[in-house]
Amino acid sequence: MPMMPENPVHLPVEKLSLGCPVLDRFLGGGIPFGFVTELAGEASAGKTQLCLQIVLSAAAPRSSGGLSAASLFISTEPPFPLRRLLSLSSDAAPLDHIFVRSAFSSKELFDLLNHVDLLLSLVRHSSDRRIRLLVLDSAAALFHTDAEDAVHRSSELFSVAAKLKEQARRFNLAVIVTNHVVDVVDDGSKGPRIGNYMNLSSSGRKVCPAMGLAWANCVNMRLFLSRSAAEGNVVDIDGCTMLERKLQVVFAPHLPEGSCKFVIQREGVFGVGNQALIPTSPQ
Amino acid sequence: MEVSVLPIASAHKEKLISAGYTTLLSIIGVSASRLAQELIIPHREAVEIIKVTLKCSRAVGLEGTHAVLKGSRTAWEMLSDEQNLKLIRTGSEDFDGILGGGIHCGQVTEMGGVPGIGKTQLGIQLAVNVQIPVSYGGLGAKAIYIDTEGSFMPERAYQIAQACIMDTWENLGFSRKEIEDCQEKMQPDHFLANILYFRICSYTEQIAVINYLDKFLEEHKDVKIVIIDSISFHFRQDFKEMVQRTIVLNEMSRQLMKLAERFAVAVLLLNHVTAKHTEGSFQLTLALGDTWSHSCTNRVILYWDGNDRHARIEKSPYLPSASAPFSVTGKGIRNAIAHCKRLRMM
Repeated sequence: MPMMPENPVHLPVEKLSLGCPVLDRFLGGGIPFGFVTELAGEASAGKTQLCLQIVLSAAAPRSSGGLSAASLFISTEPPFPLRRLLSLSSDAAPLDHIFVRSAFSSKELFDLLNHVDLLLSLVRHSSDRRIRLLVLDSAAALFHTDAEDAVHRSSELFSVAAKLKEQARRFNLAVIVTNHVVDVVDDGSKGPRIGNYMNLSSSGRKVCPAMGLAWANCVNMRLFLSRSAAEGNVVDIDGCTMLERKLQVVFAPHLPEGSCKFVIQREGVFGVGNQALIPTSPQ
Repeated sequence: MEVSVLPIASAHKEKLISAGYTTLLSIIGVSASRLAQELIIPHREAVEIIKVTLKCSRAVGLEGTHAVLKGSRTAWEMLSDEQNLKLIRTGSEDFDGILGGGIHCGQVTEMGGVPGIGKTQLGIQLAVNVQIPVSYGGLGAKAIYIDTEGSFMPERAYQIAQACIMDTWENLGFSRKEIEDCQEKMQPDHFLANILYFRICSYTEQIAVINYLDKFLEEHKDVKIVIIDSISFHFRQDFKEMVQRTIVLNEMSRQLMKLAERFAVAVLLLNHVTAKHTEGSFQLTLALGDTWSHSCTNRVILYWDGNDRHARIEKSPYLPSASAPFSVTGKGIRNAIAHCKRLRMM
């Protein structure tokens, strides 16, 4: 079969809504399909909640801005936050098309992803709800065992990433992986700077996304979620004060450097303000 | 047309004439870096002289004495065109400067850096710039983009193409009539359609596409750049035998060199970097190991220096080792913004 080049004009441009218009605008429409998006942040930064909200946004009917699509949520840090999913969901989003699986080792993840291949190619042509979103929460939990053999670990990371990217492309999925952060120690042993910011901080600590330079090469876009320091900034919405959080574009092929404030409320994760895009360098 | 008519500093005129550049045509064929060297002036000024010369010669060609012969070209012009054809500009004159004017056709150039430094941006920029029509100082050619990572975003390519079109018109000061004449060609969608896009998902596919290029380029002589973004992603996974990987990589590089030479296309390989830690500091090296490092004609490392992006020539048979700042803007790759200017804008 001869290989034919594609015309970029005809590549899919649809994006998956985050379930908040401010955040969508900030990200140029949402999470791209055929693409691996990383959400990095400390525990309680809001990564999992944002993932749940996106899962619900994919499940929502087209009439309310969703995709009527199914999702696969691979959880590596049980328990799956079912209660939170329920509290976030409105009647609009049916829960019976959110598949939840757990995986506790990279081997298990590989086996699972191979099954997903089969599943996706079977339902590909059926009129049933297609899976359009795959969430891996978190990738870091699978790989943060201090592998003595660093070379082996990095080749494992690349294999997982290649598999996820292949599926993203073949089945036009949006893939979201979450990542932990590690503290940055200022002892001169700091690694190379990755992305738009010299330093990232959360809760007043200097941190950087886990799994190092090798993994950073594996994702198409890195977003960083952070909380302001405990005594830090708060946002006042309808008389309630809430901790101010920030979403930053660390790197993305289609987005400039920028950050967007957000809050987490009972109803969900919401961007704050109309000035969604605050470019800090002239673009 | 003589150099004396150019609206440039008289000191520059004198230097031009004493270096043997007496006519406008004689300047057109020269690269900015060579001109800068010969006249012993900053590269920036040499670029300015060439720009002014292009503008003047165009204005004269339109209204002046050559009206009768309009459409015909002298051998000199053809020769200088051919010399120009060899280079694809990056969008940043400083970056072009250390590359000897731009990316060279007929050669394999490898560029690598940390995620987010602008590798994909450079790839898209060059895929767009190769299409600038010959009459506007470009190559008027097509690009092949082999995407191994899935980071090519059509919306970003559209933005960069749009900015490239605007800049081309602005810099060269075209009349309304000329703009209308080429309206059809100078559309972002047209630029996008001339990027022949291959998305590959495994190293076997990557090898297959590269082997297929031989036949494909034979049928598509209008392609002048092949971009592989990135060369390394699928080769950093588990290879059972590292020896086997080396053999496969060697074969691939041989094939790419052959393509570059045979079809006079520029081959741009984007690569990852790895950090080697030694005593509290680290050094960035391009990925894929030592054997691979002999595979490319030119190797460039992209790195952060403070808040600025820089490019450094790591290896080249003829380019001096040098570095230059550049920036990634909404419009694409451009010169670095001067520090004071940036502070003011903030």
